[in-house]
Amino acid sequence: MKLMKFAAAAATSILLSTSIAAADDKPVVGLIMKSLANEFFQNMLAGAEAHAEKRGDYELRAVGMQNETDFESQINAVENFITQGVDAIVVAPADSKAMVRPLKRAMEAGIVVINFDVALDEGAKKQQGVDLAFVGPDNRGGAKMAGDALGSALGEGAKVVIIEGNPGADNATQRRLGFEDAVAEHKLNLLDSRTAHWETEEANQVFATMLTANPDIQGVMAANDSMAIGVVKALESAGRSDIKVVGFDAIPAVLPMIEDGRLLASVDQFGQEMAANSIDLALDVLAGGPQLEGWVKTPIELVAGE
Amino acid sequence: MSAVDITPHSPEKTSMSIRSVINNAGIGIALLLMILFFSVASEHFLSANNITNILTQITINLVLAVGMTFVILIGGIDLSVGSVMAFAAVVAGKAITLPGLGATELIILAVLAGVLAGMVCGILNGVVSAYWSLPSFIITLGMLNIARGAALQISGAQTIYSFPFAFEEFGSKLIYGVPVVFLVALTLVVIAWFVLNRTVFGRLIYGIGNNEEAVRLAGHPVFWYKVAAFSICGLTAGIAAIIYMARLNISSPIAGIGFELNAIAAVIIGGTSLSGGRGSVIGTLLGAFIIGVLANGLILIGLSDFVRQMITGLVIVIAVILDHYRAKYSAS
Repeated sequence: MKLMKFAAAAATSILLSTSIAAADDKPVVGLIMKSLANEFFQNMLAGAEAHAEKRGDYELRAVGMQNETDFESQINAVENFITQGVDAIVVAPADSKAMVRPLKRAMEAGIVVINFDVALDEGAKKQQGVDLAFVGPDNRGGAKMAGDALGSALGEGAKVVIIEGNPGADNATQRRLGFEDAVAEHKLNLLDSRTAHWETEEANQVFATMLTANPDIQGVMAANDSMAIGVVKALESAGRSDIKVVGFDAIPAVLPMIEDGRLLASVDQFGQEMAANSIDLALDVLAGGPQLEGWVKTPIELVAGE
Repeated sequence: MSAVDITPHSPEKTSMSIRSVINNAGIGIALLLMILFFSVASEHFLSANNITNILTQITINLVLAVGMTFVILIGGIDLSVGSVMAFAAVVAGKAITLPGLGATELIILAVLAGVLAGMVCGILNGVVSAYWSLPSFIITLGMLNIARGAALQISGAQTIYSFPFAFEEFGSKLIYGVPVVFLVALTLVVIAWFVLNRTVFGRLIYGIGNNEEAVRLAGHPVFWYKVAAFSICGLTAGIAAIIYMARLNISSPIAGIGFELNAIAAVIIGGTSLSGGRGSVIGTLLGAFIIGVLANGLILIGLSDFVRQMITGLVIVIAVILDHYRAKYSAS
């Protein structure tokens, strides 16, 4: 126990000394992302680093996590940033409930906090008495756009299935709800909805089996493009070119598929710019601008072929 | 070639082969019952398309499980195969997208690079755990992270795509409804069976799992046999990576997360003992089929994802309980 305290004190003093060493007049922005093993956050990091270099009027300190569910290390990152005395924290929470308390502590320490990408839980915010705006895309609205594209291509009554992301993940839930909104609006016939944990190979297997169970499927909505690729490959193996697929994220690997029609559409939420835009907002507040309120929606766009 | 005679446990050899037949028969009956159940419960289950699907779906797990069988037979474990597969896929993906080469050269280069990358990881696993006599559980857990990190580093966490058409064609080619990639996996099973049952090397793999000290005292270089077992496991992870790429036409650095557990499950359900020395690659083949049939059939009959996960877990536990009785029965 004593040793732990000592270690903590030592760690704190090291962090303090680095923050003193870095003390010039530029504001320091701490950027906390989710898993850097995820292409989306990797691109976001690259976008933020380019942004920091281009603006040149702030210092960027970015951290990511080992994997999507490692929210312990995000909490530690917030605490480290508080100790370092950064001016602003820009955070994509891995867990929309667990992150509220540490972020509250950061705000109490006078740090400007911007919540982006995944919204903190409203109930948890209310419970902790935290008032914090959200900067991010409308995952549900984006999924609805993809679903609408599919719905108008297929027409009323078409038989569709959903390939979901990780059960319990907020963006997975929002995208599923968005797909379901499109199903309701276009009066589609939803045959089945299953998770493939965001993964290509699993989506390939799960969808191939769903297709066997329901050979009359006409459309597929995949909650990310990695899974959409797995679906497209399963359709190719089954020799079915009559089934339409939509994805989400518009990653580079699917752009040729959209061009040649194997994928009907995907949704770009401009992840690369999302962190950079949030940092801009944080710096505006730091410069004396008004506090953000409610939901600052970031752009999303349907990417479809000709 | 009477290789069997030099096995340290030669007095047991007849009873061992009888036992292995009984073991495999038990798993085979379980598999048949499952197939029977699903074919009654779903009209699609025995359709030609679905059988093709199942064969495709078990291929990667089967390839990984064949290598895993060698490691588990010597009393080891390899937790790194999923990550090593991703690492090999990224290395091969980088090779196959090199500019300025023809499709054939690229494919040959990628296959060699991927298989070699997998093997190097396996050799490292083997050398480190055997040289210092460290538990392979920990060493391969280290490799799980090293290989995953390397895959992400090399690829910059980006999906690599757009491979030569011929490569893609190999991944989806069927011969009388049987995927070529499955035939590759089946060939590996046959080779592994031959190596394990008809060569000195194979019998010593069993020997090390049964009584390492006895094999050592008999003057065999146990170190190298262990390294060989782990490199075979790395090799199969490399082959799995090539199959993954050919099937999906991408290389993803986050591919194969958790695949090691499915491979281990196939080996254990197949009746190979976790403590080594007992089991067979034919059992592994049946084990991979059980996992694949279960995953496929439970979707066909419309069970939810969560229930499906629970049932798969249950089957693994039941298999281990059965193995416990099998070991007890054959010891008495």
